[in-house]
Amino acid sequence: MATLYKTAKSEYQDVDDVLEEREKRSDIKQRILMVASRGVTFRQRHLMNDLEVLLPHSKKESKVEAKQDIDILNELAEIQNCNNVFYFEARKHQDLYLWIARAPSGPSVKFHVQNIHTMDELKMTGNCLRGSRPVLSFDSNFDSEPHLQLLKEIFTQTFGVPKGARKSKPFFDHVFTFSIVDGRIWFRNFQIVEKDAQTGGDMAKNAKPTLIEIGPRFVLNTIRIFEGSFGGPTLYENPRYISPNVVRAAVRSQKATKYASRVADTQDREARARANPLPSDPLKDVFE
Amino acid sequence: MSDDEQMYDEAMMEDEETALEIAALQSEDLLPQPKKEFINHKAALRALVDELSQKSLNWIQRCDVTSAEPIVVDKTENDLDRELKFYQQGLEAVIQAQLEVKNVGVPFSRPDDYFAEMVKSDAHMARIRQKLLDQQKGIQNSEEAKKQRELRKYGKKIEQEKLKEREDQKKASLDKIATIKKRLRSGDLGEVDDFEIDVASDDDGGSAKAKGTRGKKGKDGRPMVNHKRLSKNEKFGFGGKKRGLRKNTAESTSDMSGFSQKRNKSANFSAVHQRGKTKRPGKSKRQRTN
Repeated sequence: MATLYKTAKSEYQDVDDVLEEREKRSDIKQRILMVASRGVTFRQRHLMNDLEVLLPHSKKESKVEAKQDIDILNELAEIQNCNNVFYFEARKHQDLYLWIARAPSGPSVKFHVQNIHTMDELKMTGNCLRGSRPVLSFDSNFDSEPHLQLLKEIFTQTFGVPKGARKSKPFFDHVFTFSIVDGRIWFRNFQIVEKDAQTGGDMAKNAKPTLIEIGPRFVLNTIRIFEGSFGGPTLYENPRYISPNVVRAAVRSQKATKYASRVADTQDREARARANPLPSDPLKDVFE
Repeated sequence: MSDDEQMYDEAMMEDEETALEIAALQSEDLLPQPKKEFINHKAALRALVDELSQKSLNWIQRCDVTSAEPIVVDKTENDLDRELKFYQQGLEAVIQAQLEVKNVGVPFSRPDDYFAEMVKSDAHMARIRQKLLDQQKGIQNSEEAKKQRELRKYGKKIEQEKLKEREDQKKASLDKIATIKKRLRSGDLGEVDDFEIDVASDDDGGSAKAKGTRGKKGKDGRPMVNHKRLSKNEKFGFGGKKRGLRKNTAESTSDMSGFSQKRNKSANFSAVHQRGKTKRPGKSKRQRTN
C-alpha cells in the first residue's frame, strides 16, 4: 500500500526528484546490526555493549554460531532492515575479530581487535549524552592509500550517527578519533568539555575546549578487505598482519629451541669429555 | 576466484595458519612472513570509494574532519607521546567542527539545563569521583607521613644532642667532685679554698648555690658558706650520697655520743640555744638609764 501511495504521489512530482529523494534518504539512513559469536569473553561483550550504547542507530542481535552462520548474517541484516553489520567473532576464548560489512552486496573488512579497554574502567572519567552525534576525527594518513580511503568511508558511514536517527540527541558532545600508528587503527572516544577547567564556569572567549576520555578504546589491525559482504574476492590483504596463533606458536617454538639446544650442548660436552681424556697425573698417589 | 572458493579459503583459514605454524617451527625466523604477493587491487578499491561516497550529503550529515598533518609516532610503546598526538588530533577536529557547525547554524554545545540520559550512569560517575578522591587522599596521607618522619628524625637528633650535652656536664662535674674529694682526703686545710673557688669558677648558671650567701663575706672576711646548700648538695646532688641508704644502722642506734648526762641535767637545757642573741634589758630599765 505504501508503494502505491508513493507512486501515486510521484505523478505530481518529477520522477527524477523522487529517485533523488529516495537516494538521499537511503544515503542518510544507516542502520547497524551488531552480532556476536559464541565464546566471547566478558571484556569483548562489554565492548559490544559500549558500542551499542554509543551508536543509537545500531541494533543488537542474539549470538550466532561461529563458522556456519556467516552467510546467515546477510539474511539477518535484511530482516532487521539494516544496511551495515558489525560481527564480533571470538576465537579460542581469546582473540576477537571484528567484521564490518555492508549488508546486501557491499564491501566487508575483517579486523583483529587488540588492547580493548571498556567504558567501565574507572580511569575513563568522561561522560556524554546517550545518542548524541559524534564528531569524527580522522588522521590525514587515511588519505594516503586507496584501501585506507575505503576504510575512512566505511567508518564515516558506520560510526557516524545519521542526522535524523531515532534515538539521537541534538548537541555535539563527544569526538571519535581514528589514527594510524604502526600500521594499525587506534580508536579513542573523548568528551568535549567547554567549561573552564579550574572554576567550572564558562570559558573565556578564545579558550580551547578540553577533551576527557570516555572510552572504549581499542586497536584494529586490518586483515583483509573483501569485495562482497562476508566473502567474495579479496581486494586487499595486509602484509603486516600476523595471526595471533602464529605468534603464540613462535613463542612456544622459541622455548622449545632453548631446551633442545641445552640438551644438545650437554650431549656435546659428554662426547668431548670422552674423546679427550685427561692425561694421567704422576702425583696422583702422593697423598694417600 | 569464485565465491565458493573464497568461502572455502576463508573457512580453511585455520588450516592455513597451521601450515604457517609448521613453517615457523622449521624456519629460523621466529615471526615468519610468508614470501608471496599481497593482494592490493588499488583500482578496484578506488572505484568502490567513489561508489560508496555520499556525494549528495552536506557536511553536517557526516561530521567528519580530517587532520591537516599526519600523525607520526616514532615509538609505539611511548604511551605519553602517542596519546598526546591523539588528543591533539581530536582537539583540532573539534575546533574545526565548531566552525563548520556554526556556519550551518546548528547548536553545538549542550546548554546547562538540558538533562537527558547519559552514557554512564550516575552511580558509575559517583564511583569514579570516589576513586579520584581516594587517590588524592592517599597522596596527601603519604606526604604527611613523610613530613612526620622528617620531623621525627630532626627531633630525635636534637634530643640526642641534648642528652649528650647533659651527660658530658654530668661527667665533668663528677670528675671534679672526685678530684676534690681526693685532694680533701690527701691534703687538708689549704684546699678548702679550692673547693669553693673551683666549683664557683666553672658553674655559671647551673650550679645549685643559694643567692643568699654567694659573694657575701662574713666576719672574718672569708666568703660565707651556705651550710644548708652544702648539705642539700651532699644529699641530692651529683656524686652525692646514694639514695636509699638506711638512715639508721645498728651502729648509729647504739651510738650514745650525742647524749650527755651533764647537759640533760643542766638548768637551761630546755631553752633553745641561741647564739648571737644579746640579752637586752627591759623597757623600764632602758628608760631609766637613757
